[in-house]
Amino acid sequence: MDKQLDLLQGTLDMLILKAISLSPLHGYGILLRIQQMSKERLEIQQGSLYPALYRLEHHGWIASEWGESENKRRARFYRLTAAGKRRLQSESKRWNQMTTVIAGILQATPEEL
Amino acid sequence: MNLWARFRSWTAAILRRTRMEREMDEEMLFHIEAHAANLVSRGVPQQEALRQARLEFGGMETTKEECRDAIGVSFLETLIQDVRHGVRTLLRTPVFTVITVVVLALGIGGNTAIFSVVDAVLLRPLAYRDSGRLVTILMNGEDPVSVANYIDWRDQSHSFVALGAADYWSPNLTGVDSPEHVVGLKVTQGLLPMLGIEPVLGRLFVVGEDKDGADREVILSYRLWQRRFSGDRNVLGKPIVLDGNAYVVVGVMPQGFQFAPFWATRAELWVPNAFGPRIHNRGGNSLRVFGRLKEGVSLTQARAEMSGITAGLEQQYPGTNRYVVVTPLKEKVVGQIETPLLVLLGAVGFVLLITCANVAHMLLARAAARQKEVAVRAALGARRGRIIRQFLTESLLLGGLGGAAGLGLAALATRALIAISPANIPRVQTVTIDLRAALFLFSATILTSVGFGLAPALQASSINVNDSLKEGGRSNSEGISRRRLRGLLVISEFALALMLLIGAGLMIRTFAALQAVDAGFNPHNVISMVVSVAGSKEADPSRRAIFYHQLIERVRSLPGVQAAGAINHLPLAGDLWGWPFVIEGRPKPRPGESPGAVYRMVAPGYFEAMRLPLIRGRYVSEADNVTAPGVVIINERAAKEYWPGEDPIGKRISFDDDKASPPTWLTIIGVAKDAKQDDWAATPSPEVYLAAFQNHDFLGDSGSDLASHVSYMTLVARTAGDPATVAPSMKEATWSFDRNLAISEVVTMDGVVAEANAQPRFEMRLLTIFAAVALILSTVGIYGVISYSASRRTHEIGVRMSLGATRGDVLLLVVRQAMWLALAGSVAGIVGALLLSRLMTKLLYGVQPTDPATFVAVATLLGLVAMLACYIPAWRAMRIDPVAALRCE
Repeated sequence: MDKQLDLLQGTLDMLILKAISLSPLHGYGILLRIQQMSKERLEIQQGSLYPALYRLEHHGWIASEWGESENKRRARFYRLTAAGKRRLQSESKRWNQMTTVIAGILQATPEEL
Repeated sequence: MNLWARFRSWTAAILRRTRMEREMDEEMLFHIEAHAANLVSRGVPQQEALRQARLEFGGMETTKEECRDAIGVSFLETLIQDVRHGVRTLLRTPVFTVITVVVLALGIGGNTAIFSVVDAVLLRPLAYRDSGRLVTILMNGEDPVSVANYIDWRDQSHSFVALGAADYWSPNLTGVDSPEHVVGLKVTQGLLPMLGIEPVLGRLFVVGEDKDGADREVILSYRLWQRRFSGDRNVLGKPIVLDGNAYVVVGVMPQGFQFAPFWATRAELWVPNAFGPRIHNRGGNSLRVFGRLKEGVSLTQARAEMSGITAGLEQQYPGTNRYVVVTPLKEKVVGQIETPLLVLLGAVGFVLLITCANVAHMLLARAAARQKEVAVRAALGARRGRIIRQFLTESLLLGGLGGAAGLGLAALATRALIAISPANIPRVQTVTIDLRAALFLFSATILTSVGFGLAPALQASSINVNDSLKEGGRSNSEGISRRRLRGLLVISEFALALMLLIGAGLMIRTFAALQAVDAGFNPHNVISMVVSVAGSKEADPSRRAIFYHQLIERVRSLPGVQAAGAINHLPLAGDLWGWPFVIEGRPKPRPGESPGAVYRMVAPGYFEAMRLPLIRGRYVSEADNVTAPGVVIINERAAKEYWPGEDPIGKRISFDDDKASPPTWLTIIGVAKDAKQDDWAATPSPEVYLAAFQNHDFLGDSGSDLASHVSYMTLVARTAGDPATVAPSMKEATWSFDRNLAISEVVTMDGVVAEANAQPRFEMRLLTIFAAVALILSTVGIYGVISYSASRRTHEIGVRMSLGATRGDVLLLVVRQAMWLALAGSVAGIVGALLLSRLMTKLLYGVQPTDPATFVAVATLLGLVAMLACYIPAWRAMRIDPVAALRCE
């Protein structure tokens, strides 16, 4: 599995929430963090990150403020809100249930049916 | 939380739009630079790194648009764009905008004003606790009840939490400043608690207080408390003097409290009602009975129970319990005014519809003129929905402006409505433009805006881009569908206006018929005032007749007074008593079937002062005193009904029930012309006038049931000039006898007659105003349509003329179009009016709802107006120069 994977529809929001649940990050930082966590196996269209960020902020799951980046530049940092924390939990739970079910289906053998 | 976040990002997006855009740029540039730096650190050359970073990021503009979309900014952006565009468009045509806004303000404001009246008067529950369960129980649904009946109903019924009853009582309040004749009620103990309204001060009556001897307590209205006692909280426990007796103040009711709501509405004090010996009285009807239905008992059940009880009582005491009706209190209060108000609401609704139609075709004309603009937008990629949205935004802007102006108008109109409303509209004083009215106005505005804006928007958006944009594209005669729509609008405007005009016409005829009614007496130049002796030294039985006699003499001698007399209850203004009597020499009638008559007591001079002519016989004179044989005068109706084909003069009647034997016979000495009684539009019932100064009840003999009801007389004086100018000297003449005499109800007879016709006058005025507005609007409408379509047909007319059409032909062409519209509108309107005018039957007098004269007159009027409206465009069309017309395009 060396090839990079395309992101599944709708999972970007969850990954962003997860990425900044560890510490506040700016947009590019989120991108790097997701790639790092995925061990460089996920391909994210860089521009698509921002509409997702704006949407999440609009829902009140993340909040942003301007701060200074590691190389002393002005950058917007995103952090998780309390509502976002709850959202991440419920999303992860849903995701885990889903993968279990789908994995179960895919592993089914003729004898089991 | 989420909502708040959304709201915040929206406001940020709107208020700090430039800042948001700048930050968006900054954030994305930072991303690209950071990525480039990252690439450089991995060994990519500087230039190449930046290029690659940009490439990997993707289209920045698209991303930004997606970001805006993500928080819904684009919806708002579009809205703001549309509003801006709308405002600009409206400002570009200020005359159109102002006219439209004024028209809309009239429609919306008028509707809101009438709605606020309907809401306050009809829709709101009465101001008592759980008032939906309150009922009245009255004979024939309106007449009072005897004490014995009330007691039997109370004791036998189970449908009610409580029953209570009230007597009208208007005592003299003395001992504080000047004496005053106030309106009050004698109520049974349970009546006020039944209403569920707590006093602001003190308490309500407690059990036992309506027993004899314990009934000298009084509860004041807030108004009386403020007016006579300056809101003094120490008034509790203090005695006040009513009709010469001391009553202790035990409570004060809250501001705005009103009881009873449909009769004695001006009651300002309440005292306990001790029935005394009246508990056995089944003949004298004076009580109004109220009840509160038990939880779970329906009106139908209560009615069934009451009809069972009264059937039993009727068997036991024949003639005493027929036609007993249980009516919900609210129905009793608003029943009379419901139909007129709903008719007015409907009428003003029609005005709004006309307004809509009018604005709609003005917008249609505009939309046609803006075809090119729309075509350009469509060609540049605007979708149809987008164009409709923009047109609707414009309509909403217009509607909003109209609504805002309408709000101001409604506030003024409501005040005017209250001022001209007849006194018998209950609760009209509580009418205000409140939140409910504002909500009504808001929804009316939205509905109206969509109503007049949708058709033009749909029309405007459905254009053929190619045709419209073609260079030199001719503005041909209008397309069929558009012309049809405009025609339909004018036809409906016309039809609606016609219906309103017919309504107004019927009311004008009604009012004229009412004005032509003969009152029997001559109401011009007559002044009257109620003079009450209660609580003064003149109340003494030995003094009363002498006092009133002297008072009338003194008034007669006043300068400007031509004649004077007195009566207990003035026709149309005063109370109305009915009494059964027996006729000498006739077999005793079956119970409940005795002849009855309206019963008034007069002092000599009354008939002369009122110019109420005698048909036969003589007037009551000074000689008819307490020692002389009793005399009465009857009206024509009584003569016809009870002595048909006979001469009633010299016949004798008696008002005693079987108590007195031998009965007190009263000889008929005269027959007077029928005079109006309490209802201007009704035919008078049989009536009997007794001579007050020989009547034992009136003279205040003890033991009389009526003692407290006859302590006043209404002085009546005919004057040479303006009657109102005599009032002060009449008052002075009265007080020269005794400062403790209470004077009230100082009114001219003309005023009384006007008041009796106040409701039809109110209805006529409003309907006429609505109809006039409708007429103007539909005139403008038909003018607009005809002149617009004539101008669109300039080319066509030019062609016709160059092919030999004469000016007469052109005139006909234009007029014919207008006349078709007017005719179609009139037909539709007449059909509508035939269907709807029946609803007005209750408002009409002396005219049928389908009165042909009114219909013809109104249709003719509208036809003429339509002619007039199309005259200018037709004239203009006639003068078209064919050469110029063909060349100009």
